[in-house]
Amino acid sequence: MVLNKQHPIARILTYLILIIWTVAVVYPLVWTLLGALKNNQQFMLDKPWALPDFPLLWSNFSYVWTKYGFGGFFTNSIIVTAGSIFVSLFLSATSSYILARFTFKVGKALYSLYLSAMMIPMILGLIPLFFLLNDLGLINNLFGLIIVYSASSLPFGIFVLVSFFKMLPRELEEAAYIDGAGYSRTFFSVMLPLAKSGLISVAIMNGLTIWNEYIMGTVFTNKPDLYTLPVGMAVMQTEMQYRTEWGPLFAGLFLSIVPVLILYIIFQKQIAEGVTAGAVK
Amino acid sequence: MSPRLKRTGFITIFLLPTFIFFCLFTLYPIVKGIQISFFDWSGRTKEMDFIGIQNFLDLFSDPIIWTAIKNDYFLVVGKVLGIMLLATIFAVSVTRLKVVGRNIFRVIFFIPNVISVVVIGVLFRFVYNPNLGFINSFLSLFTENPVQISWLGSENLAMWSLLWPSIWAGIGFYMILLIAAILSIPTELYEAADLDGATQSQQFWSLTLPLIWEQMKVSILHIVMTTLNGSFIIVWIMTEGGPDNSTQVMGSYLYQMGFRQYHMGYAAAIGVLILVLSLITTMALQKLLSKNTTELA
Repeated sequence: MVLNKQHPIARILTYLILIIWTVAVVYPLVWTLLGALKNNQQFMLDKPWALPDFPLLWSNFSYVWTKYGFGGFFTNSIIVTAGSIFVSLFLSATSSYILARFTFKVGKALYSLYLSAMMIPMILGLIPLFFLLNDLGLINNLFGLIIVYSASSLPFGIFVLVSFFKMLPRELEEAAYIDGAGYSRTFFSVMLPLAKSGLISVAIMNGLTIWNEYIMGTVFTNKPDLYTLPVGMAVMQTEMQYRTEWGPLFAGLFLSIVPVLILYIIFQKQIAEGVTAGAVK
Repeated sequence: MSPRLKRTGFITIFLLPTFIFFCLFTLYPIVKGIQISFFDWSGRTKEMDFIGIQNFLDLFSDPIIWTAIKNDYFLVVGKVLGIMLLATIFAVSVTRLKVVGRNIFRVIFFIPNVISVVVIGVLFRFVYNPNLGFINSFLSLFTENPVQISWLGSENLAMWSLLWPSIWAGIGFYMILLIAAILSIPTELYEAADLDGATQSQQFWSLTLPLIWEQMKVSILHIVMTTLNGSFIIVWIMTEGGPDNSTQVMGSYLYQMGFRQYHMGYAAAIGVLILVLSLITTMALQKLLSKNTTELA
């Protein structure tokens, strides 16, 4: 890309804006880590930006992990997220392939129906969903969460994957037919592998949303040993504020940020692709 | 089996599970939600009393819902202005301007988007905390007496205090969208502009901005929709709609009415209101924004 000259003052101003926002983003996170290593006395007496005293209170981390069951929240979140990604990918990939490759009347209507669900506020369905899960015996059940998260992930998955399947070359598919592969074999052994990068984008974007989801998690579970990370965090904050356990609370916050941060740094390219894939209408 | 039957069978097998799943766990709850809004129902018993549009009539004479609607649109306007302005500045800075480490800025600015809203809410509760948070302590550096502002506890400030983390958390996403839009502009256009001696700011106003306007429209609509449909979570975590209902938004009020006070019918009516308002708003906005495009062209 060719970039022409820029006025020195404009240049300084640009950097200034970018650096200020960098601080605005990074500082609260650093502050969380510092807080996680402090005791109550330091919270009360020192300036909020003071560095933690030595010895650092690493025990705050083990305290939330074991005493508040943070480890369990992690496990639940992993189970629910992985399960939902699997179910919703399977359901959206099979449908998307048909909607992208076979033309028939119902297909178009179905596609619009799925897409319009992205516009509907999901909180409207929250109350009936609660009673539906209750009737099915899926309240306080991780499988119940997997079902609702998969359902809410479908529209985005279908939206991205339909356009993805449409882009794939037809030749390979035709070659597979000529070689005698049936419809489903062509799908599973030719088309699905070709759509890998689309599937990864959808998995990451939906995975992020599910990992961070709070409202359905809090309505559909009320047993601490079934809490996902955001639900556990929200419950913990009330208890810990009441008991003035600020250090452990900051430790909990930090522990909930670190895993997504690590995954983000690993997958940042795919995430950026996923964001743009979902928005090019 | 005939090829035609084979084809139909395959299509059905591949479409049906998803369709059933979607109907059961997405479509049915929405339709049922609309239905419940016409009933008086605590949710604790099986029987529901049909009361027609009474919930909606009650809703319109409920002062809290008016505050909630006002607050929702405060967040919509605040987020659209704040996010679009900053995201555009950042996107242009890391694409069109000579900036060292542009990728690093891009990666950092997206970080808030991967963090859970709950975590952001709890974190900012502490940032704003009158005694423990760093905002008041920082302001105190410039004054004689320590600043004791109750950011989330005062009715005048609380909505502004909620707006900031909402903008903070949203920027990265829209920045990425705008970056993609800017990078898809053919570089020849900029080369031609350079040859004609156009300055950076002339290039921005007459080249970049018109060419990313489509993407900006999509972004604005997306902000409006996600705010009306989902911003109650940060409100619920940070203030629970308080103090004295001053930060209530429609979603938080629905949650409180349904799952705290067991007025399921009334809560469902709020849900219908959210649906109606978000459809009207996005349609009106779409019309308004498409008008602007024809004027530009």
